[in-house]
Amino acid sequence: MQEVALESAINSIRVRFGSQALTRAAEMPPPQPWSSGTPVDQLTGIGGLPRGRLSLFTGSGTSGKLTVALSLLARATHEFAHAIVVDAGGFDPWTLTSYSPEPGALTVVRAPALEVAGEAAATLARAGAGFILLLGDVPEHWLGPLESGANRSGTVLVGVVDAPNRALAHASSFSLGFSRQDWIWERGQLVGLRVTARCVKNRVAPPLGETELEIRYPLGTKPLTDYRPRISEVAMRLKEVEPCASAVV
Amino acid sequence: MRVCCGLTGHLELARRPDLYGRPVIVGRWDEHVVAASEETLPFGVTPGMAMRQAEHLCPQAVFVLPDEEATIRIRELISAALYDFAPVVEVRVEGIAWLDTSGVAAAGLSIRNARHLLLKAIGREPRLGLAPGPFSARLAAARARPGHLLRVADAREFLAPLPARELPLDAEQLERLDLLGLRSLGAIAAIGPRELESQLGRDGRHAVLLARGLEPDQLDAWRPPLFTSAHRQFEEPVEDREALLFVARGLCSDLASELGLRGAGAKHVRVRLELESCEPETRESIVRHPLSSTAELFGLIGAWIKEWQPSAPITELWIELPVLEGAGRRQLRLWAGGDGSSEEVTAALERLQERFGEELVQRPRLA
Repeated sequence: MQEVALESAINSIRVRFGSQALTRAAEMPPPQPWSSGTPVDQLTGIGGLPRGRLSLFTGSGTSGKLTVALSLLARATHEFAHAIVVDAGGFDPWTLTSYSPEPGALTVVRAPALEVAGEAAATLARAGAGFILLLGDVPEHWLGPLESGANRSGTVLVGVVDAPNRALAHASSFSLGFSRQDWIWERGQLVGLRVTARCVKNRVAPPLGETELEIRYPLGTKPLTDYRPRISEVAMRLKEVEPCASAVV
Repeated sequence: MRVCCGLTGHLELARRPDLYGRPVIVGRWDEHVVAASEETLPFGVTPGMAMRQAEHLCPQAVFVLPDEEATIRIRELISAALYDFAPVVEVRVEGIAWLDTSGVAAAGLSIRNARHLLLKAIGREPRLGLAPGPFSARLAAARARPGHLLRVADAREFLAPLPARELPLDAEQLERLDLLGLRSLGAIAAIGPRELESQLGRDGRHAVLLARGLEPDQLDAWRPPLFTSAHRQFEEPVEDREALLFVARGLCSDLASELGLRGAGAKHVRVRLELESCEPETRESIVRHPLSSTAELFGLIGAWIKEWQPSAPITELWIELPVLEGAGRRQLRLWAGGDGSSEEVTAALERLQERFGEELVQRPRLA
């Protein structure tokens, strides 16, 4: 009798809020990876950023998180019909030119307030945008709709923040912490930086560890459009950790 | 081309099924007979004759005033229903319904369904004819028994013995044919179109083509109206926003299904709330990209309802889509990778712009 009542309640929720509003755990598909072609893929444990989940890039200023995120965005403009930047800060589209993006697929949402940023991100995730880059925080009450919207549509969500608040950290399924290790000097000139990207949270696979990346700045008199920042992986060290379902931030 | 024709009585007669079996004449006094039931035929009453004459011939008939609007409404309803069975459909108020079954996967099933539909709508078994074109199909249907189908394989052979008066010519032209000795369609088919054109003008040429079964006329295909709507009346006036959202979602789903069947998208969306003891409140918007899915429609309408402050409890919710357009061009985005709902994203961006201003969304033009 209870089973019938439960089934009826489940059906009613599905009718009212859509078939995907309630999914049995046994019916839930495993997270699908979006292969970005960057070293970040190897840190996720599934071969790419998880679709339909929020991935966070965190770290202090000049730690390379935005550079990596922009290279993902440029890649997304080639692979998705809509790659969207929800900008609650001061995103300058010109910083993207060096990554050779596909401009037709790029849209920037200039949110005048965090509230608008949250609503825009949730609406676009629900509508099925392929890739959303969140620059800045998202109000806590928009995180639920954002997660569920992305989960339904399979949107790749990447957030870039210096230090996530508790709610944002909790909502993310995959979190990478960036920290600058060293500046790279060549012939007395600053040519880039060496950063460490460390997986600090992973709900989609056991946390795998960390890697080192080299980010090279442009040099010489080459026009900006010819320049593509080089993000290369250096001597990746995989720190094996005890297998566990997730790690806590 | 394979055309099925269903013959029923004049649709004016279908308004009064209670009078079936009795002689009925439809028309206004001092005007001409618009329609007459089969029961008046033995008395010599025919559509087009003066009403006074009809009354003189058949005084026991029931005389009914015509209602053109109601008849056209019946025709539209029948057309819309038949449209589900074949892509090209024409229905005339005279009680003729054509379906072009060319290319229809299960033509037999469509014809059976059409028969059941006409029986349900008119209340009488239709006569059915299946032939290569509308003219021969109509004549075949006229010779079929009620509820039966007469198939014509070779239109010319079928038409040859039929009288010349079956042709769409006026009395003077028919008389002329008679004087020329052309009394059957076979006789007319045997002469050249130019010969008869020299006698009757363009109608003569047309008549020869019809008599030869060449079917020069195409069906005047019915097209669904370019608007649609859905509404829900509440037994008790509603004040709960969640309930309203629930109903709106259901209506959006119904409309999306209909739009999907018609391959159309909505360019204009209007929501009307009928209020208890108050003037109705309306909100509408024209969208740049046609909306066609539940998510698109409810994305816009749901956002309106969430912030709507009605001045009184709601008695009825209307969602109207007054301007529809073909959504076929959406297929151009079929190969856009990754996200298959590109139009929904565009619609979502438009809604955000509508709420927070045009400058919210920017599409950078990088050098």
